[in-house]
Amino acid sequence: MSEKEKKEMVGYRQQPGKIPFSRPGSGGKSPFSEPRDEEMIPESQGGKKNQPWGGHRHDKLITGRVVGKSTSLVDSKWKVTGRAKYGDDIRLPNELIGKIVRSPHHYARVLSIDLSKALDLPGVISIATGDDAKNKFGVLPVTKDEHAMAVDRVRHIGDLVACVAAEDEGTALEAVRLINVEYEILESIHDMKDGLNDSEKPIHDRGEYHIGEANVQKRVFQEFGNIDSMQENAIASHKNNWFFNGVNHAATEPHAVVADWDPSGRLTLYTPQQVPHYVHRALADVLEIPMHQINVHRTFVGGGFGGKSDPFPHEMCASILARKSGRPVRITFDREEVYWINRGRHPSHIEMNLHADEKGRLCGIETDALIDGGAFASFGHVTTYYNGVLHTAPYEIGAFHYTGARVWTNKPASGAMRGHGAVNSRCAVEVGIDDLSEQLQVDPISFRLANLLPPNSATITGFRVTSIGMRECLERVMEESDWKNKFRKMPLGHGIGIGCGFFISGSGLPIHWDPNKFPHATVHLKIDMDGGVTVHTGAADIGQGSDTVVAQSVAEVLGLPLDMIRIKSRETDTSPVDLGSYSSRVTFMNANAAISAAMKIREDLLNATSEITDSPIEKLVIGDRRIFRKDDPAVGVSYLEALHKAQEERGALVASGAYRTPPMGRAHKGAAAGLAPAYSFSAYVAEVKVDVETGQTKVEKVWAAHDCGKALNPLAVKGQIIGSCHMGMGQVLSEEMRYGRTGNLMNTDLLDYKIPSVHEMPEVTPIIVESNDPEGPFGAKEAGEGPLLPILPAVCNAVYDAIGVRSNELPITPDRLYKNIEKKCRKLKIDDPMDLPSPRLEYSELQEILEKRSQEHSIRDRDRRLKSDIKPYHNGALFGMDPTIPPDEVDESWKVTVIPSEEYLESPRLAGSAWLHTERRKRGE
Amino acid sequence: MKMPPFKLHTPNSLDEALEIARNIQSNEEDFDWIAGGTDLLPNYKWHLNSKKNVISLAKIPTLTELSDTHIGAMVRLQDLAESKTTHPVLAKSANSIASIMIRRSGTVGGNICLDTRCYWFNQTEDWRESIDWCHKCDCGTGADCRVIPNQNTLCVATYQADLAPVLMCMEAKVHLISTSGKREMLLNDFFELDGMTRNKLQPGELLTHISIPKEISNWSGDYQKLRQRESWDFPEAGVAVLWKKEGDTLKELRVATTGLESIPGYHEDLSAQLVENWNGKESITALSEQIRRAVKPVQNTWFTPSYRRKMVKVLTKRACKGLLGE
Repeated sequence: MSEKEKKEMVGYRQQPGKIPFSRPGSGGKSPFSEPRDEEMIPESQGGKKNQPWGGHRHDKLITGRVVGKSTSLVDSKWKVTGRAKYGDDIRLPNELIGKIVRSPHHYARVLSIDLSKALDLPGVISIATGDDAKNKFGVLPVTKDEHAMAVDRVRHIGDLVACVAAEDEGTALEAVRLINVEYEILESIHDMKDGLNDSEKPIHDRGEYHIGEANVQKRVFQEFGNIDSMQENAIASHKNNWFFNGVNHAATEPHAVVADWDPSGRLTLYTPQQVPHYVHRALADVLEIPMHQINVHRTFVGGGFGGKSDPFPHEMCASILARKSGRPVRITFDREEVYWINRGRHPSHIEMNLHADEKGRLCGIETDALIDGGAFASFGHVTTYYNGVLHTAPYEIGAFHYTGARVWTNKPASGAMRGHGAVNSRCAVEVGIDDLSEQLQVDPISFRLANLLPPNSATITGFRVTSIGMRECLERVMEESDWKNKFRKMPLGHGIGIGCGFFISGSGLPIHWDPNKFPHATVHLKIDMDGGVTVHTGAADIGQGSDTVVAQSVAEVLGLPLDMIRIKSRETDTSPVDLGSYSSRVTFMNANAAISAAMKIREDLLNATSEITDSPIEKLVIGDRRIFRKDDPAVGVSYLEALHKAQEERGALVASGAYRTPPMGRAHKGAAAGLAPAYSFSAYVAEVKVDVETGQTKVEKVWAAHDCGKALNPLAVKGQIIGSCHMGMGQVLSEEMRYGRTGNLMNTDLLDYKIPSVHEMPEVTPIIVESNDPEGPFGAKEAGEGPLLPILPAVCNAVYDAIGVRSNELPITPDRLYKNIEKKCRKLKIDDPMDLPSPRLEYSELQEILEKRSQEHSIRDRDRRLKSDIKPYHNGALFGMDPTIPPDEVDESWKVTVIPSEEYLESPRLAGSAWLHTERRKRGE
Repeated sequence: MKMPPFKLHTPNSLDEALEIARNIQSNEEDFDWIAGGTDLLPNYKWHLNSKKNVISLAKIPTLTELSDTHIGAMVRLQDLAESKTTHPVLAKSANSIASIMIRRSGTVGGNICLDTRCYWFNQTEDWRESIDWCHKCDCGTGADCRVIPNQNTLCVATYQADLAPVLMCMEAKVHLISTSGKREMLLNDFFELDGMTRNKLQPGELLTHISIPKEISNWSGDYQKLRQRESWDFPEAGVAVLWKKEGDTLKELRVATTGLESIPGYHEDLSAQLVENWNGKESITALSEQIRRAVKPVQNTWFTPSYRRKMVKVLTKRACKGLLGE
């Protein structure tokens, strides 16, 4: 230390007369504070960042550090160096290996289980059966219908019957073979249509809430708007009966779990989970111990996609075995077991009817969705709603009719999967719009642009929509794909197609929570004298980058580099309660909670700086590890100096921040399903090549525009878009859970369950649209699920553009498409499919009307997002209703109904026929 | 997935290998040869007819010889695909097998002797228990065929290997060896119409190499295959066509198919009659239609049998494209 520096130190805190403490540094690796990046500071704060979508409430928190900059995920080095510990990597001393005895029957009563031979096998430590834990659990409190292991009945092949813990895997497997189970086989149901009928032994008994004697788990009826005249007003109608095969998440990591009871009698469950909190609750229910005795430790998650978002019976099994044996128990699934536990997308029969009137408006959407839930409820209650309500936007519609039903069948349970419930019906809507546009002889993008809801509006079912970047998404993909020169203009076998998407950014009402009392997300911060920030969050990083987004939010507000933020998100012992990684809620809710916690620390730091520098707080700004006067940057202190000052009287700074959704939505039954604090929008254009002689489809290019509000980490957003394309392409072209003649799932392995390989992957151009959501953290919305939706219809529509043939069953495998090609050839009396005509388009007069309307709407939308004094806008305005009042309040014929009429029940649609049954409690029995 | 335990033998010479085999047999135990292991080990993991002994051929140097007329059984598929001495049609078919990682391990002999595949057979033990097994691996239950129940005792599992049809068109010979001596036969005669027996290999006998007639280098042709994905997937149908021309005159034409039945098909009679009255495009159309009629796939792979038959027609047409000189 030079003499000069020593002199400078005199003013600083030191032990009197002793060696001086070194002056606190910057706090980071580099001793020098970087100048503020003015390009990242918004105009509203005097910076250079343009804000075409207006300002944001978080603008003043922007320090220009990390938000909006592409950054690799904070845990990426753990993964690429192989040091990340996934479920099966947890090795505790003295562990036992658990294996599960599974049902070889679709549906059967368990008469007896003979454990004697297995118990005699040396090396077998403990065995458990359904008798060891009879309490039910399930992810939704209203539909708890699962047991750890079969109690009385098994409901699908692979259903759990018993479990074994042994010294090694070989012994455990041998013990499984030695367990003799006697079954009485019951008549099983495989076709979801059969689930609608009364049955002698329904798969579950809902008691007084049971619907008829059928296997209907959930039914929904909704009618909104001008239902009575939609058909007579229509000049074009589309009708299609779809079948969507079920698909599985097929995450790289199969499920794996380790349960350990420690000497103080507490259970730690290591599990790659998306929803540790729900597992926490379910464990307490099943094991009959209080929640504070349980620590759920989320390991690294090797892909979730919804497949790890239920509390699972094998997690219960491991815990029960560990309790019985007094030793840690590890259970790792084979790939086949992943298919038995499933929770993939529901196989669905969807009837989609769309109507367009003379002005090219969508005067009605009628949807009927029968979905196959498999043997358990899982998230199915919600899925049944989502199949309808999530296509009430982005288009303004004149009428919405939805009937949905979910039935139990003797298959592995369906559940939530990326794009939950919205994917299949969205595909049907978007393909329908393509067909309507063709009938009306207009460009399908023009049709969409002329029918969009504006920003800050309400949908027909009353969802509050804030920011909308749909128009920009459409315009960008149209331009980048050279749409105008390609659509309906390419030679046979080459095609281009458009599809859009709309998805929730977090669910407005959480599953297990009282929204009036508890927040959806909470984040705790702790900063001690070293300056590093410890962030406690329960958000489950499942590879999507939630640790990174929370770290970024805190770093941004405090002006720190990312390496100073330490995320602790693994254990329920230390993390605040978080509802988990589902419904694309994490960025929106956790980053908001993190920001509000960081704002408290920020205030402490500003107060301390104000005291040291004797400057008013309003004049201070936060830069890189330095707080200084805006008007005189030389006057300021380092981050650590301010921190130490703030710590004088209280030690480490701690702060808690929370997020809760604002009150919103309407009051009808089911109004909460699909409510979200914000929604994402997307538009994709796909270009395909179809071999008409074989029916093989190759997606060549995708232009993928997604409105994520604000890309906090553009690299991660692009990754989500490209990953979504891959996953959606699987469902549209090759992936399906295929059930054979005997009802068995035929492809329980990754050779026969056909995920697209790198050869099938097109060149994807991700396009980020930032609509600056007013309530999102720094304007952000979701990017995890919404981007999957549009790829399915975009590919379907591109196939039609290429060869003029539509399919109504996904995946469009070559054999299915070839069948439709043959059909078309027969219809046109053509021998060689190479002679098929390519679809062509000649505009009708309506095209000009639509273009004019979309120009007007474009101006309307810009005003609505930039002006602060805007009036309400309710769906219906496009049809001449007063935009400022919900139409049903002024027009009696504008329906809001959730119970079918007698008239409807005279000739219900497929899923609608579920309403022919009466609930037991209403039958007066 | 845990394999049942087995004893691995690693002989350094053919003689030693045969000796080990004979010893195992004389102890009334059974064994499998293992070459690249890419087919055998997944089957073992699924507990499909696994044996107590496995004899590896990896350390026997004579089995990896490769020239234009001689292909050792242990030549890796990727080496065959990349070798300059490999006939282009054979290289094309080799290069289309599975993925590059599997080709680096998988061998020519293993591919020729590939076990037949079936949706009701290539499944885990638990899965097969749930259908009460099938006759290809009945676990002592005497189970029936699940593809075509109540039929005769033939197994209809599908032969899904790519090299055989091309080698058949080349009239390649397989060379077999056992303790009772060597023998050779045309590859066309090697296969036995049954998904379980599969071929003429006797217990303790193994395939050492394949010999290809020298003059085949003057032949042209093509190999076309059908599958869902461009990598990984086994062929759902495959057609090899080879022809010899003198000037513009077609002298000889050979066609073979794979992925359609429990053995590859060599369609000698169909092609021979066409050559005499060769009429370009029309003849190709006629041939394609005849091939379609000649094959009888069943419902035990990814695509439907009717689609596979229709596609054989398209594949044949495409494989013959070079004949038209376009």
